[in-house]
Amino acid sequence: MTTTMNHPAAAAGKSRTPIIERLNIVTAFALGAISAFVVWRLALQFLPADSEVRLFTREDKITLLSMIAWFVGFMTGIGALVAPFRWVMGKDLSHDENMFLAGKDMGIKRYFRYTTDHKVVGIQYLIITMVIFGIGGILAMLIRANLGTPEGGLIHPQAYNSIVGTHGIIMIVGTIIMVTGPIGNFIMPIMIGARDMAFPRLNALSFWLIVAAAIPLIWAQFIGGISTGWSAYNPLAGQAPLGMNGYIMFICIFALSTMVAGANITTTVVRMRAKGMTWNRTPIFIYGVVASVALALPAFPVFFLSQVMSGMDRALDTSFYNTAGGGSGWLYENLFWIMGHPEVYVILIPAVAALMEMAPVFTRRPLFSFNVAVMGIAGISGLSILVWAHHMYISGWAPLLNAPFMLTTELISIPTGMLFLVLVGTLWRGRLWMTMPTLSIFALLWNFMIGGITGIYLSDVPADAFLHGSMYVTAHFHYTLMGAGLTGALASLVYWFPKMTGRMFDKKLSWISFWMVQIGFNVTFGGMFIVGLQGQPRRVEAYAALFNRGNLITSIGAAVIMSGMLVLLYGVISSWRHGVVAPMNPWHAKTLEWTVANPIPLENFAVLPVVTSDPYGYGKEKK
Amino acid sequence: MTELKPSTKNKWWKHPDVKKTFIFWLIFTPAIGIFGTQFHVLSMPDPASEVMGGVIGLMRLFTWAAAPVAALVFAICATALTSSRHYGDNPPADADHQISNSPRANATWIVVSAMLCLFALVTGLVVLQKEGDALHEENAIHVNVTGQQWAWNYDYADGARSEVLYLPVDVPVVFHITSKDVKHSFWIVEMGIKMDANPGYTTETAVTPNKIGVFNVRCAELCGLLHAYMQNKVHVVSKADYEKWLADRSALEARS
Repeated sequence: MTTTMNHPAAAAGKSRTPIIERLNIVTAFALGAISAFVVWRLALQFLPADSEVRLFTREDKITLLSMIAWFVGFMTGIGALVAPFRWVMGKDLSHDENMFLAGKDMGIKRYFRYTTDHKVVGIQYLIITMVIFGIGGILAMLIRANLGTPEGGLIHPQAYNSIVGTHGIIMIVGTIIMVTGPIGNFIMPIMIGARDMAFPRLNALSFWLIVAAAIPLIWAQFIGGISTGWSAYNPLAGQAPLGMNGYIMFICIFALSTMVAGANITTTVVRMRAKGMTWNRTPIFIYGVVASVALALPAFPVFFLSQVMSGMDRALDTSFYNTAGGGSGWLYENLFWIMGHPEVYVILIPAVAALMEMAPVFTRRPLFSFNVAVMGIAGISGLSILVWAHHMYISGWAPLLNAPFMLTTELISIPTGMLFLVLVGTLWRGRLWMTMPTLSIFALLWNFMIGGITGIYLSDVPADAFLHGSMYVTAHFHYTLMGAGLTGALASLVYWFPKMTGRMFDKKLSWISFWMVQIGFNVTFGGMFIVGLQGQPRRVEAYAALFNRGNLITSIGAAVIMSGMLVLLYGVISSWRHGVVAPMNPWHAKTLEWTVANPIPLENFAVLPVVTSDPYGYGKEKK
Repeated sequence: MTELKPSTKNKWWKHPDVKKTFIFWLIFTPAIGIFGTQFHVLSMPDPASEVMGGVIGLMRLFTWAAAPVAALVFAICATALTSSRHYGDNPPADADHQISNSPRANATWIVVSAMLCLFALVTGLVVLQKEGDALHEENAIHVNVTGQQWAWNYDYADGARSEVLYLPVDVPVVFHITSKDVKHSFWIVEMGIKMDANPGYTTETAVTPNKIGVFNVRCAELCGLLHAYMQNKVHVVSKADYEKWLADRSALEARS
């Protein structure tokens, strides 16, 4: 606990340094911790005891109130309220203050402040994504360790369930932000020829909200954990220990972050593209990012609300999801998947779009059928909000709706096929420049093909009646989110690394980690397909001896993935510190981000660029 | 399908890349089809009902329908990888005279994927219809299934109760499923049926076991601490054995 830290408001009186310059991550954590502690103590003192016998209600109230206090304290301490407060007072920030907020001449310190420069936010996102993947990966290895023998038993079942749930939710969050966070913030504004995002302060807000959200999730681990899986179905979640409140707060704050980032990125792309960058000349990656965040805009408010209701059921004894009180668990399932299915495309689309962006660069030819690529992205986005109940075929909610939801789900294979067409069309008779991103295009086609075809099996109601809730589903969505999504994200990291850090990513390390991750990945989830088909349910901590072989294969593969990711991490650190200094345009690409010098000046462009051609004009087109 | 990829003016199918892709495609299609079906069919348990047989048939059918498309994508990848590779820190020269769009290829691709999609849909609907009808089978026996943390209970029509499921072979069964606490999912693995058990609601599913033996019931929805152990056996027995078991059980229930 950092209670010994100076209270920033008190300190401001003694010194003449304005508050705005004193706030940073330390004051944020201090103020958050103090607020949480004070509110916890007050609540403990004054909240009346429950009149009825209910296991958790009072404790739930106390926990939720303390977490809300943490959130408010942290956001105040980081400086999120400075500008709104000024604005309410009828003033606005001065130019100097805005420059200070943008992190002008501040060096490394700006990464620990409420900095508005999109490049700083991009790096912050990159670091937090790597931390999330690191923790999520360790949790995955713990799961595999426990499944090393059929009896399990290495980890207590309650802790095991919590590890499974935490691994799920943080990997979902990590994959949601892995492309739109680092690349979308750092590269995207430069790519469209803008000096910053449309709302720089909201940009900082969206990042710090994620940091604020992380603490309740860590907190949750010490008060019972998230023993419900990442989907936190009610009524199981209502019965779960206090840790569920951490999940609820985490989701609410993260949903806020996603909404803020979505509004910001959408506005930036619609309003701030360089002169001459018509929609036809806008790089396909931009479409991917916008589709992703625009899809999150309707999805995440629903997620937010579903968790608010879940929290009310716990703390205020309402009955939204409680059948005995007139509610229904199916309501939760509907709300959850109305978020949950668009959300997988929130993850997937920017990763695929990033590889579509790289394909012309590494085949030295134009992107094949730009219009079809846009149609594919738009088609997936549109359809994905109409498919949620395919997660509920066998829930019994509405058997009559199974057929229509099977229709919409299978229709998605058409726009998805368009993305395949664009990629193979671009590879067709290209001159392959063999780099890690190039290999990733092939890896994406391979993994996404397997993920897509198994998705068609799962979309079929009778087949789903066998496969639903089995390890087959787990393997399927890892093939799409990790095999396709993460592959695209890692390629993006290597591709844009020279622009983000000024240094080239070590080629040898990128190749080694690529092969280890891809081979390990296919072994892991190939084995998981087998045990799923044999009939092993998901989220079990022990299994019948029959599933021994497949689980062994999976555990071996997981260890290979982990090693590959460690190689990649070493590559990131060593290349960042002393890699080869990158030229301005190492890939000889034609998009705008490669026209700015390294290191990139604060406002990117001294003179705003004018775009006169499309970004994929490699070679001459055949008439 | 393959042949429409590059649209050059004359005799595009004579281009070496097209020929190469076609050969790859001819090799990959059966390879993917055979590997895919074997992978699935060999892993899946032997069917103990017509429903499960149908599921295995569907997987086989879908795999073969997807094989040519997957093979085409992989064939183009293989062609690209074997035709022109460049290593080094600087890019190769731009690939000149490349098509950046081909309405013919786009249209073919979309029409073919739409047809495959329609095929998958119709196949699914046919099986779905059959399963819907099974719920209304007249001579079916009815079993009430109740999930609770972490066991299944079965109530038979004439008052018999059991914690282990016994079913007669070749007689349709309709399950009425509910839960006492949280959501569970009632899954008879070898019979290919699964239905969630929701507290406060009753859901239904039906099956006709067609093989005598012992099979597995597993809970397929995370239901708390001992979810992994919420599994049990189904005994499918001859009709005579079933009647005997049922009489014993009813008598036992009447006594207690």
